[in-house]
Amino acid sequence: MNARRVGLLLIVVLMLALALPVQAQEGEAVIKALPCKEPGKLTMWVWDENWAKIIGDSIELWKSEYCPGAEVELQVQPWGQYWDLLKTNAAGGELPDVFNMSQPFFYFYAVNEAVLNLQPYWDEFGVDTSVWGSGLVGPYRWGENGDLYAAPVNWDTITVFYNKDMFDAKGLAYPTADWTWDDFAAYAEALTDPEADVYGAAVYAEYQAGYPNWIAATGETPVVDAARTDCTLDNPGSLEALNFLKGLYDKGYMPSVSVMGGTSADDAFNFWASGKVAMITGGSWKLTQALQEVPFNWDVVQLPKHPQTGRSRSIVHAVGYVASARTANPDLAANLILFLASDEGQRFFAEGGNVAPANPSPAIQQLWIDSFGETDVNIQAFVDATYDSQGVTVFEEIWDVMNTELVVKIFDLGMSVEDAVAETCDVINEQLP
Amino acid sequence: MSTLRPTTTHWRVWLARPLEWLGPTPLSRRKALWGLALIAPNTLGLFFFFGIPVLMAFSTSLQEWNAIRPARFIGLDNFERLIQDDRFAQALTNTFKLIGLAVPLEVGLALGVAVLLNLPLRGRNLLRTAYFLPVVTSTVAASVVWTSIFQPRYGILSQILKPLGLGDTNWLVDPGLVLIPVAVVTIWQRLGFDMVIFLAGLQAIPAELYEAARIDGAGRWGRFRHVTLPMLSPTTFLVVVLAIINGFQIFDQVYVMTLRTVPGGVGGSATTLAYYLYRRAFTNSEFGYASAIALVLFTLILLVTVFQLAIQRYWVYYEAESQS
Repeated sequence: MNARRVGLLLIVVLMLALALPVQAQEGEAVIKALPCKEPGKLTMWVWDENWAKIIGDSIELWKSEYCPGAEVELQVQPWGQYWDLLKTNAAGGELPDVFNMSQPFFYFYAVNEAVLNLQPYWDEFGVDTSVWGSGLVGPYRWGENGDLYAAPVNWDTITVFYNKDMFDAKGLAYPTADWTWDDFAAYAEALTDPEADVYGAAVYAEYQAGYPNWIAATGETPVVDAARTDCTLDNPGSLEALNFLKGLYDKGYMPSVSVMGGTSADDAFNFWASGKVAMITGGSWKLTQALQEVPFNWDVVQLPKHPQTGRSRSIVHAVGYVASARTANPDLAANLILFLASDEGQRFFAEGGNVAPANPSPAIQQLWIDSFGETDVNIQAFVDATYDSQGVTVFEEIWDVMNTELVVKIFDLGMSVEDAVAETCDVINEQLP
Repeated sequence: MSTLRPTTTHWRVWLARPLEWLGPTPLSRRKALWGLALIAPNTLGLFFFFGIPVLMAFSTSLQEWNAIRPARFIGLDNFERLIQDDRFAQALTNTFKLIGLAVPLEVGLALGVAVLLNLPLRGRNLLRTAYFLPVVTSTVAASVVWTSIFQPRYGILSQILKPLGLGDTNWLVDPGLVLIPVAVVTIWQRLGFDMVIFLAGLQAIPAELYEAARIDGAGRWGRFRHVTLPMLSPTTFLVVVLAIINGFQIFDQVYVMTLRTVPGGVGGSATTLAYYLYRRAFTNSEFGYASAIALVLFTLILLVTVFQLAIQRYWVYYEAESQS
């Protein structure tokens, strides 16, 4: 009896001793790769050339260290045709075994049972899925128990990119992370120079980089709530944020969509890079390009805080690795995904720069920041922006109407926020289940 | 008609002598075989990659199918839904507007250019080639270039229109204007094709007709009006039919030119039938519904073409008829 208790106690102590240092010890992997049980053949799709190279390198390591004899046919299907091809292949019953998934598209594949539930594997592999930020994995959870169907590859957040030369020319101090919407509006006014054809700001374009960040700062979930029950654009927080931006536009501090040449965040970025606007909202994915190509002095700063809530919130998006529900090799596919999400697999992304790795290990995150080399740019601002962030709740069927059409109506055709939002919500409500 | 060749061969005989049906003599059979062999790759390709999908569209249009779940038979529900679908009605209207806008201009301009380039001009071949170049250009590439031309403020067109105060016109965004750029690209790209057909038609008109008209005192306009136009009417008929069919299928221009602003136009203002079909299939994953739209499109083209065939005898003049 006593011996038994002692034995139990010993086991508990041993377990604690084994479990605790995982958090504490430096150098211990946050997500550990494991050897595969049986090698085999897999097909895998990605949409980005650069990713294919990085992922290809990590697959090589997986094959040599964890799964000798395995074969992976890695294919790039460019973004422009990726989702059409995925659907036509799904129709033919030929989804790739492993493929990249984007949060707005996940719902469709989940509701149609086309993607494999990875939760049993996370349990088997001993991976605690709460190590990833909730904005990264939340949209990939499915079912009553919130099973995790994907491993996040990366995160990307939004900050304000600003042209330091323009601030200097006007004798303005550079903004800091504790600035508010009011400060932002004052800067936008001061930096606008119609004579020189220069605008103060362009911060509304696109779902991820644009107006939804401002809505999120008010505490509202932008566009549609996570449960897909309600179009939130006509809620007070959304109206406040959109009217704030519309005010800046009406005063001539922000360019119209047509003047920028399009509704995408890239259009705003190019407009900024060509010296026509002082401040834009931009994603971490533009860092490499900005460091290489922008001809003036610039920096980034976290989004300004909402004056009442005191929150600065970035929309965060994580691409995921998913497996097909009909793969002939589910164990192998899960093992590959585990490796790609592990510290070892994610190192390749961290070192490659550009794409911020989803793996939360501080060592990996620092590796990513360091990969940009010597620079004055405050890259840490992007990492800071992950803390109070908002995951993607919108989905493909409503993409155009909220991503571009709403923006064009307000910031090009001059429609009032209330009217534009009412029309947009009508269309969105049609698509809500 | 022909009595040399036995026409009553029973199918059992064909089966027994499988090549009999190809021709009466070994030589003609061999020739026919060659002919069949040569058209086989194209015909088979057309059958497998065009014919079969077209046939499948008929059955898919009666189903609810999102490409992942098994399809479900729902009878005529898709077609019932079409009748009540405002966006479908809008796409239909837009398509007719585009045809109304583009086809008369396209055919008229092509005829004008063909007549001019049929004159003994210096550098005529170079000009003909130049006019034909857009036909062999990819529509996507052309649309990208035209998109930048139509861009407000910085586009070439805006620079030209600036003195008129139209420099900031939102050609590709304004719901009332967006069909104009789409029509312009369509016209620009089809012009050369129509022109070549017209040129062939023009060159087939016997010179003696013009001489006779001249002797009768017809001027330049008179000869055009009373010789060229009637003699060219079969060609015009062909060009108009093809232009309208092409008009029903406008897709690439809309896809590319509205991609960077609002895909399909603000409130669907640039959405054509073909584009709407694509969006239903690939954005909303409603492949059954999209197939129903495809069938409607097919039927429309068929009806319009049959209608044109029916009314052609009122305006199309065939030389052969008049001689008999």
